[in-house]
Amino acid sequence: MSDPNMKILVVDDFSTMRRIVKNLLRQIGYENVEEAEDGAQAYSRLQNGGFGLVISDWNMPNMNGLDLLKKVRSDPDLKEIPILMVTAEAEKERVIAAIQAGVNNYVVKPFTGEILKEKIENIFDKVNI
Amino acid sequence: MDDMNEIINEFITEAMESLDKIEPLFVELEKKGHDADLVNEIFRSMHTIKGAAGFLGFQSIVDVAHSSENIMKKLRDRDISLSTELIDVILKSIDMLRLLLGHQQAKDGVEENISGLINDLESVLQKALEQPVPSPSATDEPAEEKSVDSKADISNGEEISSQKQVDENIHEKEVGHDNSLLQSGEAATAQRSLADEQASCELPATNKEIAKNLRVDVNRIDKVMDLAGEVVLVRNRLMNISHYFNQKYSDDPLTETLMESVSFLDRVTSDMQLAVMKIRMQPINKILGKFPRFVRDMSASLNKDVALHIKGEGTEVDKSVIENISDPLTHILRNAIDHGIESPDERSAKGKSPAGNILINIYQKGNQVVIDVSDDGKGLDTDRLKQKAIEKGILSMEEADKMTDDNASDIIFMPGFSTRDTANELSGRGVGMDVVKTNVSLLNGYVEVRSDRDRGTTFRICIPLTLAIIQALMVEVSGSKYAIPLSPIEETLQVSSAQIKNVNGQQVIVIRDRVCPLFELKNLLGENGNGNGKEDSEQKYLVVISMGEKRFCVAVDNLLGQEEVVIKALDGIDTSSTYVLGATITGDGKVVFILDVNSMSRNFFEIAKG
Repeated sequence: MSDPNMKILVVDDFSTMRRIVKNLLRQIGYENVEEAEDGAQAYSRLQNGGFGLVISDWNMPNMNGLDLLKKVRSDPDLKEIPILMVTAEAEKERVIAAIQAGVNNYVVKPFTGEILKEKIENIFDKVNI
Repeated sequence: MDDMNEIINEFITEAMESLDKIEPLFVELEKKGHDADLVNEIFRSMHTIKGAAGFLGFQSIVDVAHSSENIMKKLRDRDISLSTELIDVILKSIDMLRLLLGHQQAKDGVEENISGLINDLESVLQKALEQPVPSPSATDEPAEEKSVDSKADISNGEEISSQKQVDENIHEKEVGHDNSLLQSGEAATAQRSLADEQASCELPATNKEIAKNLRVDVNRIDKVMDLAGEVVLVRNRLMNISHYFNQKYSDDPLTETLMESVSFLDRVTSDMQLAVMKIRMQPINKILGKFPRFVRDMSASLNKDVALHIKGEGTEVDKSVIENISDPLTHILRNAIDHGIESPDERSAKGKSPAGNILINIYQKGNQVVIDVSDDGKGLDTDRLKQKAIEKGILSMEEADKMTDDNASDIIFMPGFSTRDTANELSGRGVGMDVVKTNVSLLNGYVEVRSDRDRGTTFRICIPLTLAIIQALMVEVSGSKYAIPLSPIEETLQVSSAQIKNVNGQQVIVIRDRVCPLFELKNLLGENGNGNGKEDSEQKYLVVISMGEKRFCVAVDNLLGQEEVVIKALDGIDTSSTYVLGATITGDGKVVFILDVNSMSRNFFEIAKG
């Protein structure tokens, strides 16, 4: 099981989406959530340390989700941070690219709190093995 | 539940903002041809709106955004090429999205039939897919994303049919994950050395920049504005009282301390007022975004070629100006395209470029914001304006003859005037330029027009920077105190009754060789004089007011001085007939009416019917 006090970074350029994800996270017991507007901002936040999980959108200006993923995975200090990608139905092909870049799991929009919970638990079950 | 409502409201605001932002990009796209950045930005916005709408269960919004996103995706991937038809249909879907968002906002439960639009979007896409696409140049290809897509296609071979399969892929990948990751990671790290360092140096700065912005409920700002207004009023009272104390108890050392404190309060209050005012100020480009498309659509439907230029879009104006200036500007633009700019043939015949130009120029001048809308069209035909006004019975033949060209230009602002015999689809809607004038004067501003035959027309809108707190001249009439907004006041004069002449029943006075109509304020206000007034005194004080080209003076009994007043609206008062704009509480604690010079000007210069 994952730690409910774990600090989670939600990355999306659309503030409503960040809020929706935050709300869903709160529903499933995660209160410690921070936000970033794009990959670049997320990366600099992550460097401050302390994050247990990143939930990132794909399409964003400045640095998109895939580039953030690659950047995190290539950073020796950050590469262990689990990343959950949020994608849309039409982008399934791209999931392959994300897997190749080392994403831990992905979730298709729109999703419920339960699905999100399942995905997060899935990540931590695997990580902890 | 409340939380949900808040999220929905935030979504609507954010989605509307996104639409406002991408709409002008289409016009830019049309001008530039294919541009990967522009296409990608539009794609991203549609995609985001779709995603968030999905969570909120707004299926129609999801469907419309999805179909538009599809087209943008094909454009981005260069599967289809840009066409006017494509742009038109996506612009239509932007309109539809606004409509749908509007319904969600109003919670009116109205369902729009979107199937027609979805069909259009799909058939236009289908048609575009059948067209051969010119092979894209290597330079502006969005290389990375494209290659990812195709790689996935090739490596997979078969279609990924279910989420499970992809999940399995994740499992498989998980095992070899760490090794491959490290390798590719190292390679990547080596590749981007300098660029990364630079990026990480700059990042904290942009980060701070973003954290500086805060979304605040407008009502809260207005509350602060209101409270600041109250503080200004108390400050004014305190200053009055302290002056009184200073005169009466000037020997007391405490008086000096009091005076010091009050003058400090005075300075701080002025600063606070300015700071609060600035909170409400927003760059005007917020409302300008829709104009490029508006000009494009309208000129196309009239078979005209019009280029819109915008200057000074970063100029900051009060929130209420942002809210109320959009309609007047739209109307002026509509008028310029419909009546101002000639057809390409007509322009060529006159030796002009076939494409007409419209310039919106916004700038701050003193404590006013000026918006000029100029076109290089045919100008106003004053003879025709007069003719039409006479036909419509809003101007007599006699009056028309007396009019100068400048005055005749103002005919377009007369209520019920519109030069088209039958309102056409675009200029019509049963409103004329008089609505522009009314809207602008609601903002305490004025609009004027200047025109040169065959060289063009310029509409100028002037609006005070802030509306809630104004500098006013305090005057006395028949023993009562009134405030006149300072900005339209040109000067004040003291004259003797002998200088006032009477021409055809109208009092006038000659000021530096210019004849200026004169009105007694007490007559205007219906003050019958309770004995305190100086009924027939030799000396009169005149306040000279100029509104655009119009100039008049009002006679008052006494000038009391300048004061900063906070406008408090009065409900249920018809400002145009009472000449009262609102009320304020003065330094001595009295309620004083603020006069509406705008409606005075309108009424004085209104050309009587028949």
